Amino acid sequence: MPFVQYRGMQLVVPENESEFLGYFEAAKQHRLVLKKCTACGLMRYPPGAGCPWCQSLEWSWHDVSGKGTIYSYEIIVHSIQPGFRDIAPFPVVIVELDEQRGVPTPQEGIRLIANLVDDQFHPEAEANVAIGKRVQVVFHDIAEDFTLPQFKLSNEPPQGPVWQFPS
Amino acid sequence: MGRLTDKYCIVGVGETAYTKDSGRTTRSMAVEAVRHAMRDAGLQASQVNGMLSYHGGDSCVSPEVASDLGIRLDFYMDCSGGGSSTEALVGLATGAIEVGMCETVAIFRSMNGYSEVRIGGTGRRAATPVGGSQLLSRPFGMVSAGQSFAPVFMRHMMEYGTTSAQVAAVKVAHSKHASNNPKAYYKKRYTIEDVLNSRWICKPLHLLDCCVETDNATAIIVTAAERARDLRQRPIYIMGVVGRVTKARGDTFYNDAPITAVAGKYAAPRVFGMAGVTPADIHLTGSYDAFTFTTMLQLEDYGFCKKGEGGAYVSSGIIELGGKRPNNTNGGHLCEGYTHGMNMVIENTRQLRGQADDYCPQWQEGIHTYDYSEGKCRQVRDAEISMNLGWANPVTGSALIMRR
Repeated sequence: MPFVQYRGMQLVVPENESEFLGYFEAAKQHRLVLKKCTACGLMRYPPGAGCPWCQSLEWSWHDVSGKGTIYSYEIIVHSIQPGFRDIAPFPVVIVELDEQRGVPTPQEGIRLIANLVDDQFHPEAEANVAIGKRVQVVFHDIAEDFTLPQFKLSNEPPQGPVWQFPS
Repeated sequence: MGRLTDKYCIVGVGETAYTKDSGRTTRSMAVEAVRHAMRDAGLQASQVNGMLSYHGGDSCVSPEVASDLGIRLDFYMDCSGGGSSTEALVGLATGAIEVGMCETVAIFRSMNGYSEVRIGGTGRRAATPVGGSQLLSRPFGMVSAGQSFAPVFMRHMMEYGTTSAQVAAVKVAHSKHASNNPKAYYKKRYTIEDVLNSRWICKPLHLLDCCVETDNATAIIVTAAERARDLRQRPIYIMGVVGRVTKARGDTFYNDAPITAVAGKYAAPRVFGMAGVTPADIHLTGSYDAFTFTTMLQLEDYGFCKKGEGGAYVSSGIIELGGKRPNNTNGGHLCEGYTHGMNMVIENTRQLRGQADDYCPQWQEGIHTYDYSEGKCRQVRDAEISMNLGWANPVTGSALIMRR
């Protein structure tokens, strides 16, 4: 997978990138995948080299639904990176996926960083961003051979309390 | 109590001026800071034989600094790291001396943190390719420290009802302290309204929730208690130290939930156990203020208040000069300058000596007015035990408890 220029950054996922290569190859096919431990069956994110639960080094990529809930967020107003200035203010969200929530400990969850975007991949309006809202993965093809998994609001009702920063 | 409690001391401290355009190299600044610390301690070049530093690919190395000061080294190491390094290296210095690798260690941090390499990945860092773990966050515009930590504060607000006004009190307190610190880059006193009316950086953070970026070098010198007694200053004893304690799965800050708990949760029992004291015994704190809320999060997890009550604690007046347990009496990173934590260890050392360098005419003799109005005193009365709470990020921290 070659280098890709995106918003002033050079994103690099070389062929020996044993953590992320499969993740972004799947994203290119519009699939969200996680590493799943062959020994204990638990998934993990980030896609690290070993299983944090049983230390097994054997794993395979596993497709997940891409459905989840906003666990926390921020609104970047002053973008210090020039490549993001044209879209600021924009939300960054921590999404907790539905899969493996509260497993293997009650505090565990599969949590990813993304931007909350609309159907055109523009930043979702701040007024619509809140902790507890339901989201769904979407795949933004930012180059011919590179896709960035992002999230958008889903039509599902929230499963718990919804909270928004009072600004 | 720990086996080495009170056996090692900080004997010298020094720094350069805090500026935004040093116009010189990190080597030049480090040499000046270490020289000041040696003069402060009354140490000759032949009496310093260990050196430690930390950097983020933005600084000089120990052999350069030592050579410029005529120091021949028996031990040195230049470690990768930012915040939380100071306390960790104090611990490593005592270990290096304890096993006999050297006798006296100078620790420095030198950075052109504004004019050359800024924290947020602008300037020199901007051209670096984004790969590996950076792919988790940088493609989404989450690059700087503020952008990385803000969701932790957001979740704290949601879980505990913490408000922007509560943490703004941290800036108010630290700016009050800075107004009595001739070295501080920002000496102006701010109000809660000033913070809340300052422009947004990344919500929930305002501009004045964020620390200053500066060019500067800082240095401290560690040696064994039996040597310290022959030196120029009153020795400040190391009671307990922990370094780079992490939460589970510390490669990200959002895996080990609740994300509102920081590394202090794990560091606290270790460091208090070693020092043989409790939070109630601490007279002043140096809780890392990269942002207003980082000070609060650490004070909570080290047990200075209950978890979730940090907003009330930092806005109660307790952390101000004249309060029960002042925090960052130099003005901290929010006002004095940014040195990845070392300036707060320097400050607590001076406070425990009774030598806060304020506007009292006889501060050098330890004579203070204890008038904390603007442009006056910043010495804490009868300060006997201090604690530094070093922060690298929400999941990594260090701590240091010292006494006079």
